[in-house]
Amino acid sequence: MRLALAIASFVILIVHGIIFYDQFFHKWESYQTSYFQQALSLAKTDAERAAVEGRSPKIEQIIVTSFGETRVDRCSTCHIGIDDPRFRDAGHPLQSHPFSEAMGDRQVEGKWVRRHKFNDFGCTVCHDGQGRGLESKYAHGQDHFWPDPLLGSRLIDWRADYKPKLVSADFMQANCTLCHTGENFTGTPQVSLGRKLFFGKNCYGCHKIDGLSNGTLGPDLSEAGKKFKIDYLWESIVEPRANSAVSFMPKFTLTDEEVKALTIFLKSRRGMNFSETSLDRYRATLTLGKVGEEALTNVMAAPGSPISGSKLTGQMTGQMTGQMTGQMTGATAGEQLVQNKACLACHKLGKSDGGIAPDLSFEGLMREEPWMMAHFRSPRSRISDSIMPSFGFTDAEYEAMTGYLTSLKTPPSLATPAETFTNLCARCHGDKGDGRGLISTYLDPFPRDLTKIGFMNSKPIERYIASIQNGVQGTSMPGWGKMLNEGQIRGLLDYVQTAFVREPRRTLKDRRIPESNPVADSLDSVNRGEVTFLQRCTGCHGKKGDGKGPNSLDIQPRPRNLRNHDFLNSISDRRLFESLLYGVQGTAMPSWIDYGLTEKEVGDLVNYLRSFDKGHK
Amino acid sequence: MAKKIRLGALTEIPAGIWNSIFRNSLPSSDLGRAQTSFTNFFLHIHPVKVHRHTIKPWYTMGLGLITFFLFVILVITGVLVMFYYVPSTTQAYDRMLDLRSSVAFGTFLRNMHRWAAHGMVAFVFLHMCRVFFTGSYKKPREFNWVIGIVLFLLTLFSSFTGYLLPWDQLAFWAITVGASIAGYAPFIGEQVRFLLLGDSTVGQEALLRFYVLHVAVLPIVVTLLVSIHFWRIRKDGGLSRPEDVTPVDVTPVDVTPVTTTQPGSTTKRHYGIQGLVRGPFTTVGNVPDNSVFSWPNLFMAELFVLVLTIAGVCVLSLFFNAPLEEPVNITHPPNPAKAPWYFLGLQELVSYSAFWGGVGIPTMQVLLLLLAPYIDRNPKGVGRWFAGERLLANTLFLIFVIVNLVLIVIGTFFRGPNWEFVSPW
Repeated sequence: MRLALAIASFVILIVHGIIFYDQFFHKWESYQTSYFQQALSLAKTDAERAAVEGRSPKIEQIIVTSFGETRVDRCSTCHIGIDDPRFRDAGHPLQSHPFSEAMGDRQVEGKWVRRHKFNDFGCTVCHDGQGRGLESKYAHGQDHFWPDPLLGSRLIDWRADYKPKLVSADFMQANCTLCHTGENFTGTPQVSLGRKLFFGKNCYGCHKIDGLSNGTLGPDLSEAGKKFKIDYLWESIVEPRANSAVSFMPKFTLTDEEVKALTIFLKSRRGMNFSETSLDRYRATLTLGKVGEEALTNVMAAPGSPISGSKLTGQMTGQMTGQMTGQMTGATAGEQLVQNKACLACHKLGKSDGGIAPDLSFEGLMREEPWMMAHFRSPRSRISDSIMPSFGFTDAEYEAMTGYLTSLKTPPSLATPAETFTNLCARCHGDKGDGRGLISTYLDPFPRDLTKIGFMNSKPIERYIASIQNGVQGTSMPGWGKMLNEGQIRGLLDYVQTAFVREPRRTLKDRRIPESNPVADSLDSVNRGEVTFLQRCTGCHGKKGDGKGPNSLDIQPRPRNLRNHDFLNSISDRRLFESLLYGVQGTAMPSWIDYGLTEKEVGDLVNYLRSFDKGHK
Repeated sequence: MAKKIRLGALTEIPAGIWNSIFRNSLPSSDLGRAQTSFTNFFLHIHPVKVHRHTIKPWYTMGLGLITFFLFVILVITGVLVMFYYVPSTTQAYDRMLDLRSSVAFGTFLRNMHRWAAHGMVAFVFLHMCRVFFTGSYKKPREFNWVIGIVLFLLTLFSSFTGYLLPWDQLAFWAITVGASIAGYAPFIGEQVRFLLLGDSTVGQEALLRFYVLHVAVLPIVVTLLVSIHFWRIRKDGGLSRPEDVTPVDVTPVDVTPVTTTQPGSTTKRHYGIQGLVRGPFTTVGNVPDNSVFSWPNLFMAELFVLVLTIAGVCVLSLFFNAPLEEPVNITHPPNPAKAPWYFLGLQELVSYSAFWGGVGIPTMQVLLLLLAPYIDRNPKGVGRWFAGERLLANTLFLIFVIVNLVLIVIGTFFRGPNWEFVSPW
């Protein structure tokens, strides 16, 4: 026991030894000692020498009060030569801060004078990092938890493939913007470019930034720079689902340079700026009505060419706005609007393709004017699970755009069924007909998988013809009747049958299906239907019937959103009965006769589903 | 001549001071041993002699003592940390950063406080297990068990109140979660939550309340109850032990055997009120018994536990830094937001049922613990680990311990975003 006691006491002694050693031999002390020695040897006059000799290592700090919350920057404890021009080439940490004319530093009588004096600005205002830290890990914000690591430096736990892209002094421009809020401030080209991209790539449609945009579909980005580190911002732009599994944000086609500019722009969004008062801030929230104009003056998207801030000359902007305000109606204005409102960040039009949303090249043959206007005002009123935001432009603008789009009536080449499929169908249904077209991930409901024999061979051909001719209400499938006659449609279907289904069409068995709902619509019936629905259907279709039940994620095609009124209203009772009683082959919908549902119960269910649109449930 | 006397008196001053502080020289006789422990303020809480069974290291494993020493460490480091802390939402986090960067020994101090706090929660629980498995809560020690349970709850509450003070994301959301668990109580839940937080959300009021509770109210109450807890040990007849089978246990207990007969103590003695002290240990006269002198046997063991505790805390504090996460961001909750680890069992239960997990089951558990000595009236099996006579009680308690530990482990390691099951590997 005494031996153990001695050992334990010894351990305590050792630990204390280490702690005391740590406490009295700081790294920063040795940096300062080394600085004093070098300064002494560099000293030319007695006064210089005396100034150094009088100093001994101590914690240096700058207290910054003029920029937001009070900051305590102890950076110069290690970086003690920061303002000593003799240490220009000393290497870190003693090296002095470079002078830069871009930063506003000037030479007066051969001596540099700083524009941003350290005594006023401190260090972290521009560089980020943690001013209070005295160990490089903490001071540079490399501690995983510190929200503002040194801008332009990398963190150990950042993703390896992004790390090299995040190392650049350009990232500091995000902090310049905290004071230099001017829209085209020359010192912050990256922020300006990012801002243009924010409009040019249509980010503004979904995201809100106070004073800039008013989107509601995506998260508010007004304080994105305060909440997130640059690696997170970068990752969220490049891989929207990396940080939120339920995100439906599209993957935009962006070059690394563009992602960088957007990241820097977002990093500069830190809520209230230093140069703002809270009154300014409040005013900014009131100016949202001007978003359209803002977008107009900022966005510059030439068809087929990537958006580039440098191409935006003052002259061109002037021309554009002149056109805009001069003639707001007519197809030309509409064309300009479609270009300038960044519709093509997602949509395809001619050669320009955002790769996210449907082809607008022959929109006039697919959609009618009233539909388009209603869809512009609220996309979800027409396609209930559309990810297209409602942009809140003026009705005049919508009319101009509608006018332009409905004028696009030149069909693509439809010589053979195969060509027809490639030109009209493949964007959604995929080259292989498996429903995995270029834009299919952004469509809800998902495009039909035409290779599923079970489905393709279980419906009468008239239904497929009707779907192609008239489209499917409430979904992204438009009617192709204006482009294809019945012969062409049958040809297309034959092509689908041979190329994708790869099995001859079967003759269908007769099923006993009521033509119309035999159960009268009454509150009782609806209530009974609801009970059945909650017992049988919610696993896939969800409690609300919106197709988002717990099993829905594992099912392809996804369960139908039964709250899609346009779709449901376009479906006859007969078809509902058929799907409920006999199931939908090629999907997860089972035949409910086999599970003991009677025709009366199905009738109640149909009344319940129909009641969604009538508003009493 | 007079000069010489004065000089002589001067040389005696150090010895005089020494003797005035320590009334006895290092004891060499049994009388001295008795006097040493009797006349020293810090030692006199111990009896002069203790039963051999008391100092068997594997009987108590020093768990209660470790808890007490951790509490002492907490008080000392806590007072030191208090010099740097300001309970203000605008300053608290900056103070933490200062403590970490520029305060001398600041990191080490905070680490010690942090790990000692977690340790105290753990050891007070282990101590409770020891007491239960050895049946030590039985008559006449029922009430001391009750005090012990209250101390256990106070320890949890102290740790919980301290958790908020760094005012980082970890603290803020842990307290938000913890306080909302309190809010699940029926009828009074919301009121209790409001009383605790002083507001509808965790904010400046909550920080101030938690601070006052943490640095003043709870330590005072804990100190008081610890004193009573210790006092009751003696008044209830020392530590629990089995009935002596033979009057004299001759097998030595890994301590230096000492004689109990004192020279020249044959005269008849009078006993005052001390003779009324309850318990079987009050033997009168010079009958040989199973006791040994506290000095050095007991004190050496206690010193060993003390040194071991300090060493453990020091080593932990050297190698592991107390966590300090992001500054509080009310709009950006972490996912999942977790309560402190000792409440994760509750949080796990809450994820199944808010009422039962947050209120029903914990209340029942606490009530059962408090009433355990009154429910279990089987007098047998005291003073031995896992006594066969106590199979039922021990099994029930073991289940209670395991269930709670498993829940805590699940809550800590197996719960990811949205409280969904994740594998820690």
